[in-house]
Amino acid sequence: MIKEERILLKNAGKINPLSINDYTKAGGYRGLKKALAMEPVEVIDELLEAGLRGRGGAGFSTGMKQRFTSESCLRCPQRYVVVNADEGEPGTYKDRIIMEQDPHLYLEGTIIAAHAIRSSQGYIYIRGEYQDSIEKTRKAVEDAYKKGFLGKNIMGSGFDFDLEIKLGAGSYLCGEELTMLESLEGKRGTPRIKPPFPAEKGVFGMPTLVNNVETLANATRILEKGKQWYRQTGTDTSPGTKIFTISGQVNKAGYYELPLGVSLRELIELAGGMRNGKPFKAALLGGAAGTFVDSSMLDEEMSYDNLKKKGATLGSGAVIVLAGEDSIARTLINCLRFFKHESCGKCIPCRVGTAQLLISARQLNDTARDKKKLLGEMIRDSGLMAATSLCPLGQSPILPLKSAARYFEDELCGLEN
Amino acid sequence: MSIKEIIRQFKPEHHNLLNIMHALQNSNPGNYLTKEALEETASYLGLTKASVYGVATYYTMFSLEPRGRYIIRVCISPVCEIIKAETIIKHLEKVLGIKTGQTSSDRLFTLELSECLGQCHKAPSMMINDRVHNCLDKNSIEEIIEEYRQMSKSD
Amino acid sequence: MEKTVSIHIDGKKLNVQEGKNLLQAAKENNIDIPHLCYHRKLSPTGACRLCIVKINGQKGLIASCTVRAEEGMEVIAFDEELEEARRFILDYLLSEHDESSDGSYMDEFKELVVRYGLDDKKKRKYAPIWKYLGYPSDNSSPVLTYEAAKCIKCFRCIKACDEVQGKNVLSFTKRGIASYITGGFEKWGESECDGCGECIQLCPTGAIVEKPHRDQIMLHQDHKKVKTTCPYCGVGCQLELIVQNGKIVRADGVEGVSPNDGRLCVKGRFGYDYVSHPDRLKVPLIKKGGRFTEAGWDEALDLVAEKFSETIKKHGKRSLAGYASAKTTNEDNYLFMKFVRTVFGNNNVDYCTRLCHASTVTAMLRSLGDGAGSNSIEDYEKSDCILVTGNNMIETHPVTATYVKYAAQRRGARIIIIDPKWTPLVKDSHIWLQPRLGTDVALLNGMIRVIIREELIDRRFIEKRVEGGMKALEELKALTEKYTLEYVEEITGVPAEMMQEAARIYAGARRPLIATGMGYSQQLTGTHNVFCLINMMLITGQIGRKGAGLNPPRGQNNVQGVSDVGASPFTYPGYVPVGDDENRRKVAKIWNVPYRELDPEKGLSTVEIMQAAYRGEIRAMYIMGENPMLTDPNLNHTEEAIKKLDFLVVQDIFHTETTALADVVLPATSFAESEGTFVNSDRRVLRVRKAVDPPGQARQDWEIITDIAKRMGKPLGSYRDESEIWDEIARTSPIFAGISFSRLEKQGIQWPCPSKEHPGTPTLFEERFNTASGLAKLHPVDYAEQTEKADNEYPYILNTGRILYQYHSSTMSRRNVSLNQFANEAYVLMHPDDAKKQGLSNGDKVDISSRRGVIRSITVKISGEVLLGELFMPFHYSEAPVNRLTRDELDPYSKIAPFKLSAVKIVTGS
Repeated sequence: MIKEERILLKNAGKINPLSINDYTKAGGYRGLKKALAMEPVEVIDELLEAGLRGRGGAGFSTGMKQRFTSESCLRCPQRYVVVNADEGEPGTYKDRIIMEQDPHLYLEGTIIAAHAIRSSQGYIYIRGEYQDSIEKTRKAVEDAYKKGFLGKNIMGSGFDFDLEIKLGAGSYLCGEELTMLESLEGKRGTPRIKPPFPAEKGVFGMPTLVNNVETLANATRILEKGKQWYRQTGTDTSPGTKIFTISGQVNKAGYYELPLGVSLRELIELAGGMRNGKPFKAALLGGAAGTFVDSSMLDEEMSYDNLKKKGATLGSGAVIVLAGEDSIARTLINCLRFFKHESCGKCIPCRVGTAQLLISARQLNDTARDKKKLLGEMIRDSGLMAATSLCPLGQSPILPLKSAARYFEDELCGLEN
Repeated sequence: MSIKEIIRQFKPEHHNLLNIMHALQNSNPGNYLTKEALEETASYLGLTKASVYGVATYYTMFSLEPRGRYIIRVCISPVCEIIKAETIIKHLEKVLGIKTGQTSSDRLFTLELSECLGQCHKAPSMMINDRVHNCLDKNSIEEIIEEYRQMSKSD
Repeated sequence: MEKTVSIHIDGKKLNVQEGKNLLQAAKENNIDIPHLCYHRKLSPTGACRLCIVKINGQKGLIASCTVRAEEGMEVIAFDEELEEARRFILDYLLSEHDESSDGSYMDEFKELVVRYGLDDKKKRKYAPIWKYLGYPSDNSSPVLTYEAAKCIKCFRCIKACDEVQGKNVLSFTKRGIASYITGGFEKWGESECDGCGECIQLCPTGAIVEKPHRDQIMLHQDHKKVKTTCPYCGVGCQLELIVQNGKIVRADGVEGVSPNDGRLCVKGRFGYDYVSHPDRLKVPLIKKGGRFTEAGWDEALDLVAEKFSETIKKHGKRSLAGYASAKTTNEDNYLFMKFVRTVFGNNNVDYCTRLCHASTVTAMLRSLGDGAGSNSIEDYEKSDCILVTGNNMIETHPVTATYVKYAAQRRGARIIIIDPKWTPLVKDSHIWLQPRLGTDVALLNGMIRVIIREELIDRRFIEKRVEGGMKALEELKALTEKYTLEYVEEITGVPAEMMQEAARIYAGARRPLIATGMGYSQQLTGTHNVFCLINMMLITGQIGRKGAGLNPPRGQNNVQGVSDVGASPFTYPGYVPVGDDENRRKVAKIWNVPYRELDPEKGLSTVEIMQAAYRGEIRAMYIMGENPMLTDPNLNHTEEAIKKLDFLVVQDIFHTETTALADVVLPATSFAESEGTFVNSDRRVLRVRKAVDPPGQARQDWEIITDIAKRMGKPLGSYRDESEIWDEIARTSPIFAGISFSRLEKQGIQWPCPSKEHPGTPTLFEERFNTASGLAKLHPVDYAEQTEKADNEYPYILNTGRILYQYHSSTMSRRNVSLNQFANEAYVLMHPDDAKKQGLSNGDKVDISSRRGVIRSITVKISGEVLLGELFMPFHYSEAPVNRLTRDELDPYSKIAPFKLSAVKIVTGS
């Protein structure tokens, strides 16, 4: 059986998350010290060469993102760092674990990123429901100020950086980076047109780096231990570890930090196997905006690129396991209900589509309907939605829908049982 | 603290709107944003009424209706659903004597649903105000509700 | 310079401006990509997704409104996949949409539904779900209704309100398919909405529709659309009136033409009820035995001619006078002026400009050589600094203010306000200087001193374009030397550092505009105030190029035009002085009258005419469309003067406080029944077109005037129509020489326009000033204390002004149901501390008196908008005639009266 490799979560459960001294004793803020001794561009190069990819779901190169942000609009009076701590993808709680168990880890990464792009103001946008994360982060920020890791002349380097916490208030869509910026500015969570990307025009119209909590935690480690060390874990194109959150029908649901490239079977084994020995039926990878897979995918390497090739997604690292007795339709309907609830309503395809798909999905239970035709129409509609929607939300329903149909068409159409 | 005092803890900048609303709602015994609170906020931030109202109605954590002292948010995400959140909701309705969306007649509890609370490894889950309650079953629900009832008496 | 790039759309090669969005580029080349949320005037939203296209090298379908044209783009706008996607989106939209319509609005969505064949319900795929979504309606606004079920959530109303009008009153509420538009807390009527209706105009469906006359509008039935010019303020908004069954039932702004580009304010959009109001004067009236009796035109005009002739015979030709009208057309006023000069035989013709911007015009004429605004209204939008002095433009020139707000809100322009009273523009301002009433000269001299000391002057400009060059500056420097920061702060109450900052910002701006209003002009020192503004502008070189200059927004629709066409005691058409022999000869020739018959003496000005009437020197008057019994200063005096006249003729569209004192009342046409032209605040000659027939026997002013002249044996000429009158105006005034009605068909032209080929002049003074030397002149002036001050007996200083919803003496505006619903009560604003001292609370009634009169039972409004010791009252309301309190003491240069400053006392418990 594979073993966890706790690079990010090395302190989790071992130190007092409310104590900055515990963190520094465990080696904390060494990465920042190293970074501050480097030129900003060297920090970016380090991350680039480490091959770090964003852990929010899209898997874009973090170094590239930082480079774009640091190089855009040189005349702009300010550039911002925004930490995306609006974790809302169903089945996902990796960022929460970091925030609750080792908040300085991502705080340190945030300050490093600020130095890299020469930003003097940052925001952490945390989901309003994550009370514990909010409290722990508040304390961490307070202590970091006291110890001189935030504020003026950080660690005597001459670098200034202020950080403020912003609360979400119940909107999944605000996890999308451009929508988050709207929300951060105190507005309704509706997506902006892309381009411009945040790197060009982000919060308050200024160049903005938006990074996920887990990504920033990785950055801390890379600066602390170096890119070579970092690259020893994971695959070539997806180096490092990933915190997987596995839940549903397994015995030991929980979070597991593993090198990218682990297989689903290995992960389930690590999670104590199927709950009460039930047969594996399906896994929903990446949450609601993710894909169903069946047992044929159990041994596939879970890395960004391989899963993409197989028509699946790694997304946020959520793995929701369904057993033989569980209804695919029910979970699918839950996903579609979720999208309808979270659609902001700005663009027509998503606003109406999320409502219409849910109606159709519920009709899958209706014996009078030609279900195969209905399912076909739903896939067509969700495809048109994906093609025409303004932001990723409208592009999401097709993911669970199409993958569910691919593996479980007969069940969805009531041809089984 | 009065509404004005709460608002003035923040700088009069538009981007503080959500944080201000959280503070106002949390300070209100009915756990909601009053019309007066919205008006004061709008005038403090130099916004129109609709811009503030539009934000308040967009985010699910805000309420414009009076609610109970304790807001129960039951997670209905796919994971909690697989682990039978439905029975949890039904049982809560029974214990509280209200339907989802309603507030108990003693104004102690409002029962709401929530998207994924990120507690999937300990599903089914719910939050009551700031606290998370996990691995729920019928027994634990009754105990938890009782605990809050007692707490309200001791305050 | 704008760079063009070449792109291909569906194989068609287009040359378009670089950076223009693809959808707009396609539209301008007649490629009709469907869209709903996009509007030329708004930032792209990307919400409807109908304008999707494919672009080479880019993934997926892209909303063309969000893409900027780049060289070499290959765009596919129409193929099977795109059209299927569009049909799919429309089909979706239909399912959440209530299609029923009462036919009172245009429906862009419906047009697309038909275009994509979805009007055939069999072709639709989705069940209508809108019925189950609980969409509300909001009827609480006085002027419009909102129906969420007819709303396609395109954001156009929200952006119209925010981006175009700068108000941001609307928002979405809730989210997803449950979302809809809200004003206020789902009560439009309780929101900050001021009723401009920009949202109505840009709404593509029937979600937001105006209330007035809705039941009378059937757009699929016979109706006509008439483009004309708004009859309210001096912005000159272009209106499109919809006329159904002989009645105006709707007004829209005309898109794509200056000055308003479709924008209107609440008066322009909803203020036309008065045209068909039953109170309209319909027949000539003759006063017999103290009562008006109806008369035929012949009887009335014979009497008028006879009485005027008799007066000339008995008291000499200088015993008559006329008030022209800022409400009526250039053609009417031109002939009125010609009538006074050739039939009365004197120059006693003036009008209300003497009561508003005379001082501004006087100062500008003396310093710059032209009395009109130097720039275009749209220039505000691109300005980086706007100095607003004594000008509540959001209420008095609402559409001009939209450009100013745009500059501040979206382009970072800094607005500096100088006003003792709060105005809504303060919210968008960078600095608000709040000097005590009447201390502006000291404030500006202080700012000038800062500019000179800190060497923020434009030496090159002064040397090249100011008479006396740096020597003239030395004089100004010497005079302003004593206006130290401390001294100015003491006089004005404005903190020194704010004054300094304002001076620095103005002097350092690249494109600063000054908008100066009644607060500066209606003072005894009105001319001096504006001299100081001009001094500051000249030494910093902030005039004479596009986007920099001085602009007095004019209060009435044609107040600019009436001066331009010569209804002035001092000048003939085109600002040619009456005293100049050569001018008189030239004019006499065009008019075909003996030049000796033209009086070489300047005439009396507005207030002087009343004073002469009081002294018995003016015996008969002809008043066209003015209401001095409400708008002149010191009304008690005016009333006595008018009562002393032997004979008074008033020509108007309604009975007014002035017609009540007339011997003969003649019914005239409103703007909607008239043909002709107005000139707006940025010197734009704009067409007025007849939309409906006049009520009863009412006739257009110029026809009445020519008839009287004929009956007095001195015909003015024979004119077939208004365009012939205009052509004569163009012959007499060089500034209009190149303008004819045919050139005004599409849009207005800004004077000077010396020849038929000349495009008009958006910016004055680019090459030279219009003075004899071609150079501008500095006029250093000292601060003088006001002659009327607060004292123990009259402890308050009263300021007067206007509000958004009423207009002038409110004879028109108050005959509109919509406008009255917003504001229909007089009030006095009082500082909270003064109210406390007086023991007054909101809503209490007080009497207010000055040395000249008293007004009774005025409602108190307590407000931080005014300074301690200062009061403010709107002058619109006849039941609260504030001008019974004001003075008719005059500014020696411009003869303007100090409406803005009267010492008064409050008498409580009335």
